[in-house]
Amino acid sequence: MRMQPFAAAGIALLLAVVPVVAHHSFSAEFDANKPFKHTGVVTKVEWQNPHTLFYLDITDDATKKVTNWAFEMGSPNGLMRNGWTRNTLKIGDVVTVEGSLARDGTPYGNARSVVLASSGKRLFADSSQGATP
Amino acid sequence: MTRAARVAIIVAMVIVAFWIARAQGPAGPRSAETTPRLADGTPNLGRVAGEKGVWNVPYIQNMGMRIPGPDKTTAVQRAAAAAAAARAAGAGARGAGGGPLGGGEGAAGGARGGSKAEPDVPFLPWSRGVYDYNSRNNSKYDPEGYCLPPGGPRLMATPYPMEIIQQPEHKRILMIFEGATHIWREIYMDGRPHPQGDELNPTYLGHSVGRWEGDALVVDVVGFNENSWLDYYGHPHTDLLHVVEKFTRPDKGTLRYEAIIDDPGAYSKPWTVTWDIPWRPNAELTEYICQENNRYQRRLTDDFGEPVFGSGH
Repeated sequence: MRMQPFAAAGIALLLAVVPVVAHHSFSAEFDANKPFKHTGVVTKVEWQNPHTLFYLDITDDATKKVTNWAFEMGSPNGLMRNGWTRNTLKIGDVVTVEGSLARDGTPYGNARSVVLASSGKRLFADSSQGATP
Repeated sequence: MTRAARVAIIVAMVIVAFWIARAQGPAGPRSAETTPRLADGTPNLGRVAGEKGVWNVPYIQNMGMRIPGPDKTTAVQRAAAAAAAARAAGAGARGAGGGPLGGGEGAAGGARGGSKAEPDVPFLPWSRGVYDYNSRNNSKYDPEGYCLPPGGPRLMATPYPMEIIQQPEHKRILMIFEGATHIWREIYMDGRPHPQGDELNPTYLGHSVGRWEGDALVVDVVGFNENSWLDYYGHPHTDLLHVVEKFTRPDKGTLRYEAIIDDPGAYSKPWTVTWDIPWRPNAELTEYICQENNRYQRRLTDDFGEPVFGSGH
């Protein structure tokens, strides 16, 4: 995979400084060896404990097929410590999300960071991954 | 390896080293302020009047890695020191000092060594079997994943901030926890004994009585139920669990935590775990209610593919 040095360093930074919030076992649901980076359009946000979820319509580049994905983040209190509010993501926003895929192969992932296309701002998702194996 | 990948690895190593040093190393200049004290000279384990701040509890996933050896260091500290030494020795020594106990905290890809990797944990045969089972399924059945509270030392190992509030006038100390389930515990400082027999009701947090030994708060805890694990990795315990905790504040920025885990139902002898908890100035607790909409419970299936929590009646 071709990667710009600064992008690679940015990802390394993410892996290193993500604050950790534990809830359920990360490893039981998600596979740290299956990273993803997806861009899509926000369709729904569920700002709730113990995990905030948001949903993206993601268009497959090759087939143009649209799939609605769900992404898990931390809890509202943890997200607010990372600079989020309940209105950070709005329906229709274009965002790029990075994280780890669910083990069961469904369109579901654990988000580690989210970049808003409108501002370029990157926010950490208070992922339960952190240092978890 | 591409140049980009090398840059990424070097940046990651530097950051991780800094992070570990900050989390575990000797107190830096920032936290070298002396231990705050109450008017009577007792160490103040909480806020200084007029200031904010919380204890920033770290994510201690595996207490088998937190057992101090003969030199008083834990496996996690030794691994960090060895990794730092390897880095200092140059790129060629990469990994020379690594390999913490066959997949301990921070191991990638879910590789966990189970009981074989933890010679210092005095397992009984059944607790060894249960621990290996929890290792193999990546802690799938962790009670904290069901929003049940941590019991015993795991209170100080679940990564949500907490506060200690001393009320000498009431002869008690309160500890309030943002997570994992927004709970508090009360430590009786009035010299009372533990309840005996059926008066001792098994609970998640047990019955805590405390006393000061010099500058150390020593808390004796019994009366645990068997619904919790000692840690995320799944070290089990029974209702015979007896924990002796020692809290000290060697400087303003550090809460040193030590716990003796004495459970003849699960372990052949007592074992001790220890770690430091950093002070986070200016921070406050916020609300976290795990039970709100825990979808993990709805998704969770057992080893036979059946829903763990059933479809309900």
